[in-house]
Amino acid sequence: MNPYKRSPFIKVATVLVYFFLYAPIIGLIVFAFNSSRTNVFFGGFITQWGPLQMEGSTVVQSPCGPFHWFCDLTQNRDVMSATKNTLTIALISTITSTVIGTMAALALQRYNFRLKSFSQLSLYIPIVIPEIVMGIGILVLFSQVFSFLNSSFGLVGDGRLTMGMPTVVVSHIAFSIPFVTLVVQARLQGFDKSFEEAAMDLGANELVTFWRVTFPMILPGVLSGALLAFTLSLDDFVITFFTTGPGSTTLPIYVYGLLRRIITPQVNALSTIWVLVVVTIVFLLQRFQSQET
Amino acid sequence: MLKRLRENKSSQGTLLITPTLVFMVGLLIIPLFLTLIISFGKRSADGNVIYTFGLHNYARIVGISTDCAGGQSICFDPLYAQILWRSLTLAFNSTVLVILLAYPLAYFIARSHPKRRNTFLFMVLVPLWTNFVIRVYAWMMLLRTQGVINSVVGWLAGLVGIQFVPFEMLYTPGAVLVGMVYEFLPFMILPIFTSLEKIENSLFEAAADLGANPIRTFLRVTLPLSMPGVVAGTILVFIPVMGTFIVSDLLGGKQVILVGNLIQRQFLDARDPTFGSAASLILMAMTLVVTFFYTRKFGFGEEIVTA
Amino acid sequence: MKHNFWKLLAVFVLASMLLAACGGGAAGGDGDEKVTASGFVCPEPETQIEVTSKELNLFVWTEYIPTEWKECYELIYGIQINHDEYSSNEEMYAKLSAGGSTYDLVQPTDYIIGLMIRQGILQELDQTKLPMASYDPNYLNLSFDPGNVYTVPYMAGNDGIIYNADAVPNPPASFADLWNPEYAGRLVLLDDSRVIIGMTLLTLGYDVNTTDPAELEEAKNKLAGLVPGVKLFDSDSPKTALIAGDVDLGVTWTGEAFTAQQENPAFTYVYPTEGAFLWQDNWAMPVGAPHSDAAYAWINYTSQGNLFWLMLRDFPYVVPNKAALDYAQANETELYDAYMNSPITNVPQEAIDAGHAIEDVGDATPLYDQIWTEIKGGE
Repeated sequence: MNPYKRSPFIKVATVLVYFFLYAPIIGLIVFAFNSSRTNVFFGGFITQWGPLQMEGSTVVQSPCGPFHWFCDLTQNRDVMSATKNTLTIALISTITSTVIGTMAALALQRYNFRLKSFSQLSLYIPIVIPEIVMGIGILVLFSQVFSFLNSSFGLVGDGRLTMGMPTVVVSHIAFSIPFVTLVVQARLQGFDKSFEEAAMDLGANELVTFWRVTFPMILPGVLSGALLAFTLSLDDFVITFFTTGPGSTTLPIYVYGLLRRIITPQVNALSTIWVLVVVTIVFLLQRFQSQET
Repeated sequence: MLKRLRENKSSQGTLLITPTLVFMVGLLIIPLFLTLIISFGKRSADGNVIYTFGLHNYARIVGISTDCAGGQSICFDPLYAQILWRSLTLAFNSTVLVILLAYPLAYFIARSHPKRRNTFLFMVLVPLWTNFVIRVYAWMMLLRTQGVINSVVGWLAGLVGIQFVPFEMLYTPGAVLVGMVYEFLPFMILPIFTSLEKIENSLFEAAADLGANPIRTFLRVTLPLSMPGVVAGTILVFIPVMGTFIVSDLLGGKQVILVGNLIQRQFLDARDPTFGSAASLILMAMTLVVTFFYTRKFGFGEEIVTA
Repeated sequence: MKHNFWKLLAVFVLASMLLAACGGGAAGGDGDEKVTASGFVCPEPETQIEVTSKELNLFVWTEYIPTEWKECYELIYGIQINHDEYSSNEEMYAKLSAGGSTYDLVQPTDYIIGLMIRQGILQELDQTKLPMASYDPNYLNLSFDPGNVYTVPYMAGNDGIIYNADAVPNPPASFADLWNPEYAGRLVLLDDSRVIIGMTLLTLGYDVNTTDPAELEEAKNKLAGLVPGVKLFDSDSPKTALIAGDVDLGVTWTGEAFTAQQENPAFTYVYPTEGAFLWQDNWAMPVGAPHSDAAYAWINYTSQGNLFWLMLRDFPYVVPNKAALDYAQANETELYDAYMNSPITNVPQEAIDAGHAIEDVGDATPLYDQIWTEIKGGE
């Protein structure tokens, strides 16, 4: 029997769902080439190459041709710095929360200690708390702490503690940890301890056993947790809004603000590039994976 | 000291959990506690908090009102209860729809050839990694009166010669539902896929050998074994839907008021953090209650491995 | 498996470094003349101000500052601008009142300034350091900030009625006309409780800043009759729904009407007979601004006629800056004529006289919000 056989119903349903998932994205990409700047209707592609010429709000000619909005985007310094901020924050918070979350998962699954139930319960809070509550709560907390520290240590001007990248990173770590922990915990639950026992019997100490036996076996879980943390950080808006400071605007905040006012195809161009980058990364991962197997 | 660490398992555990505890207590429990205290307070004329103890905010949400039209001392004002109920039903409907759409896809991927499995999986992730707000905006483009869907259908109708009145899809509760389903669909696909993937092929063969037809196999083998994934996915979908405000704002024309919108407005436009805090805690309580009963019935979905 | 992890990491790091490198080019300056990337020649500062700070933290409305300003300021003063944005006064207020932020300049709209002053969020401005002579006196010394102790004007406008002349054969002339049943299902209203409840109050003959519960109750009931016919509420970009044909008429503000008109000349903006809602955006300096010298330099520099005129080019609102208008009249006649000829930017005196300003209602704010929630949230 062919283990990969699936009924026609399943196949049709799958195609339809994938179409549902991608239809808006395709629409987005097409509109990135829209000649109409107001971006309400599709005004056709920009076909003429040359110095910028506009008729009302339609771009008739552009130095970059149909890729006009992509070129426009590169001139946009705010987008570039927002992107840089977003990636930096996502990277730091993902790595940190993955490490801390994995440690927590190990602690909860394999050890017994006094604060165990309290810890387990407290990890559910970020999952059920509305983001705006968390965002404002953290803001109030930080501002009280900062004003106290600033006055105690006499910090002034640019030397003061303020909201900025560090506060955003710290909040992102906070809401990512539970998700990482949950995922790694799940992976640990079906864990077969016999491998570890075998290694110990063969003379390896605990640290070596962990690094060479346990860790590789839970790595898929750890990676999924990291992936989840990265996704959450990349897209976060509400909490980031309340915890940022000058110069640390992230992409979601920038885009949301932009979308609410001016909806030029520049936003579509940004999304298209974003999708392209994601697809490229995924493609590269695929290549590595198939090389392994 | 290191030696003691090595031997005492309990302190090893404590050490491992400490960073997590620092973050959870510092950044979540303390702010939550602050929220609780604020929820008992009163709003000053300028929107600041007057710290007192009173349950007036909670009474207001539940519907107990003291200024009544008929002159009674206490009557029922269903305004906020309606909003809560609307959010619950939307979350419920969205979750059901998401399960219906996610399951076949997850099944397809789980039963596909291992070489192609990852590709299919990542195809599910790509939309998830595009910005949340941009995806909602994309749906606005599709659903408009002269948007993509209406244009395509209109063109088709023109070919066949039917008179076509464009569908009014945007700025309706239906649009909000579609938006919610779209945004959270991948969060259900992944957990269901994970639990389906763990079912070994031999189980299906065994069922077939024992004479079960595909439907029976599904109902008695596949579905029960995939329940942990469904449960995990439900939690990942239901809870955010209850608290999101962006989707209902953009796709509902700001007319579909959900709990998330209510809370956001209290902190921003109404400048009443006391009421907003109370509403947030009620939202959290509701979510916890629903999750509790759900996991009691269906188990905890512990095996939510996603790789 | 371990390979994968490191490769993944490498790819992410590479990607972020790549994007960081694409930091966008700055402009050059050849000798004395400073030119921006788009070829705009930066004018010299008219007032010399001593600036020792190296940065400037702006917290402003989305898309409300011409890029040339930022580029020229950075070229001339060598100061780095940190530009954060917000899309509503309430968001800005929430962040500032919670504390901990260090912005040098914000752009509050009139109604929220009284609140910010009472809360001690804004600091008094030193008028000797500001170009007070550039401003049109009609926009100075207004009720929300007598004597301009805390603010200077930025841009002004109003909220009125817009309709598509092609699609609406029987156009409205007053707010009361909007209740006409033939408009049902084709209306867009601002998502602003004060403006919409306010307009209802006007149709009943009451004051827009009333705190009388009986009057508000009446307004609530009247408004409840209108809401089912409203297609959407939008305070972000109502022009989109209008241009797209989802709606044909409604209440918006001047900038949106102007842009809609550019897309489709059939869009007409009217000042309702009861009087439009006037508003004004202003510069203000939060308490604790770390780079106030840079902030004063910024206001002085950008308020110059030869820079502020760019607002006429980019943002179709009322310009309270005389110097800019004079400059445009002399050097950019096309832009100036377009500005003066449109009743949207060149507001007729009768409309200004008949207009209403929204003021903070203090204790009654939750009451307005309660009414708003009931109207929108009720089934």
